[in-house]
Amino acid sequence: MSADRGETGAAPNEAPTSVTALVELKGVAKSYRIGDQEIHAVRDVDLRIESGQFVAIIGHSGSGKSTLLSMIGGLTRPTRGNVFIDGENIWAHDDDYRSMLRNQKIGFVFQFASLIPTLTAVDNVLLPNLLGPRNGRRPREEDAIALLERVGLGEKIDAFPSELSGGQQRRVAIARALFNRPRLLLADEPTGDLDEETEAEVMELMLETCRELDTAFLMVTHNRAMAETADRVLMMKAGILS
Amino acid sequence: MRLFSLAVQNLKRKPFRTLSLALAVAIASGAVFSTAAVMWGVERSLDRGFSRFGADLLVVPQGTLVGMRTALLTGEPSTFYMDGAIAERVRALSGVAKASPQVFLTTAEGDHCIIGDAFLVGFDPQSDFTVLPWLRERMERDMRPDDVIVGGRSEYDIGQTVYFYGEYFTVYGRLERTGMGLYDNAVFMRIDKAYDLAEASKRFTDAPPLAFDESQISALLVQIRPTANVDAVQFAIAQHPGARIITAGNVVTSVRQNLVALFSGTVFLTAVFIAGNVLMLSAIFSTIVNERKRELGLLRAIGARRRTLFGLVLSEAALLTTAGGVLGVAVGALVLRVYERTIVFHLESMSIPFLWPAVLEIAVMAGIGIVLALLVGLTGAAWPARTASVMEPYDAIRAGE
Repeated sequence: MSADRGETGAAPNEAPTSVTALVELKGVAKSYRIGDQEIHAVRDVDLRIESGQFVAIIGHSGSGKSTLLSMIGGLTRPTRGNVFIDGENIWAHDDDYRSMLRNQKIGFVFQFASLIPTLTAVDNVLLPNLLGPRNGRRPREEDAIALLERVGLGEKIDAFPSELSGGQQRRVAIARALFNRPRLLLADEPTGDLDEETEAEVMELMLETCRELDTAFLMVTHNRAMAETADRVLMMKAGILS
Repeated sequence: MRLFSLAVQNLKRKPFRTLSLALAVAIASGAVFSTAAVMWGVERSLDRGFSRFGADLLVVPQGTLVGMRTALLTGEPSTFYMDGAIAERVRALSGVAKASPQVFLTTAEGDHCIIGDAFLVGFDPQSDFTVLPWLRERMERDMRPDDVIVGGRSEYDIGQTVYFYGEYFTVYGRLERTGMGLYDNAVFMRIDKAYDLAEASKRFTDAPPLAFDESQISALLVQIRPTANVDAVQFAIAQHPGARIITAGNVVTSVRQNLVALFSGTVFLTAVFIAGNVLMLSAIFSTIVNERKRELGLLRAIGARRRTLFGLVLSEAALLTTAGGVLGVAVGALVLRVYERTIVFHLESMSIPFLWPAVLEIAVMAGIGIVLALLVGLTGAAWPARTASVMEPYDAIRAGE
């Protein structure tokens, strides 16, 4: 992979700390310039997440938690600092590497109904297979159906998103996020628009499946009650993680 | 499921928009195909007509250039005469390989002719090199004095009897179709029979007699030796008083001038329309990318590479415009088929010869029309596709928040 370091200033071979964590952040910061004003969304964050660990980051809207999550997931480039996943500085590699990483090692669950409206539930779950590396790609419809059954939607495999409730759509999104058995599940306010009962069901489902797959789970939320079940709870305020 | 089917699904989301865009592309590609087919048909007709014509020069009486050109191209009867002695003098020129006289006559309306206002051409079988070599079908015997040969578009059957000025003739053969009016529409007979008809016409009082005699001819077809200096031969012929020379180039140029006058507006409008299609597709695909920003960001989050999104947007445009191209070509072909006679009539009324392109040529033009439509799609969607591919995934996902 060719280096594509941009403005992070990271050296491609800069090593993480001696014992490699699944996720390690070193001095990660993100700032935006709006006119003459510089907005610091995330300030010098250091963080380690081990395999299978459940970490919750709580904070108000605009505290920078979603931005932090997106930098870990390779969705937005940090202004400063390095993000290591499995010991690799992801922002020192090119965009194809990060695409492959998101496809193979990271699953995302967003705060909105993140399904493609023209695809059925099973086709939505199969998207990581479609977008993944061609080599060795094979039809894995049975895996997708098994996952949908696992999230309680075995009867809805051919349903389109418009035919599913909000909770059911979120379950499909979870099944899709776990399709490639990722090492890390990133959830950004995953139950933000769900009622309390559905919220609890979805949360329970994510925790169970992450435990089964030994997947690390990083969730950002403004809901303290939801964060209580995590192994570690961190607070984010004005871009500072504590 | 493949990326291709994702593109198909995306197009199905807004059927009216998809259909409108496809129709706009269909109109452009249909216009390109139809115009190309007609222009190609004219070119084919010219090429074929002149390559089979065999004569390098045509010597005609002074003041008859336009009439001769019209007769050649459309087969419209045209009669004019000059002293036939020119044939021997031209043959005697050192650079001339062959020279064959022809005499033109138009039949009169009346019971003595099977049809009035028909174009009859008398040719000399001894020196001929432009009629007999191009017989497509003929009777299983040698040509007799009272036989005639009909043009490629004649409705007379081989063996049928026709009569002109009370003289009966048998249709001996039919020429190949060329697109050149003279050779497609006229009736050819031996030149001595044409002179006989001139005499016979004097017997009938209900029509004016044919106004020529054995000392006259209408045109002299000349083939120049390959080694001869064409300009020198032309110059030598031009010294004969009352003679004018028509070259194949003169006729082709005049046809092309008519062609340009007829099609330049169409070609310009089609080019403008294609450019408009490119801009319209660019604008609409920019809107589509903007509408689907979050979805595209989501695909990136799931692992789509930049080039995958680029390919997805281009695939949608390519699918849409190719479908439009196929539709346009199909409708264009249908329109050409339905208005075939009208098109040929209009072209011939402008002295533009026409011969339908061969099936393979039409298939090539259809292919070009469809490829052009595809290129319109790819060009129009290139910038929006690039925009989609370079968006930062996080910014795209947050779109609309």
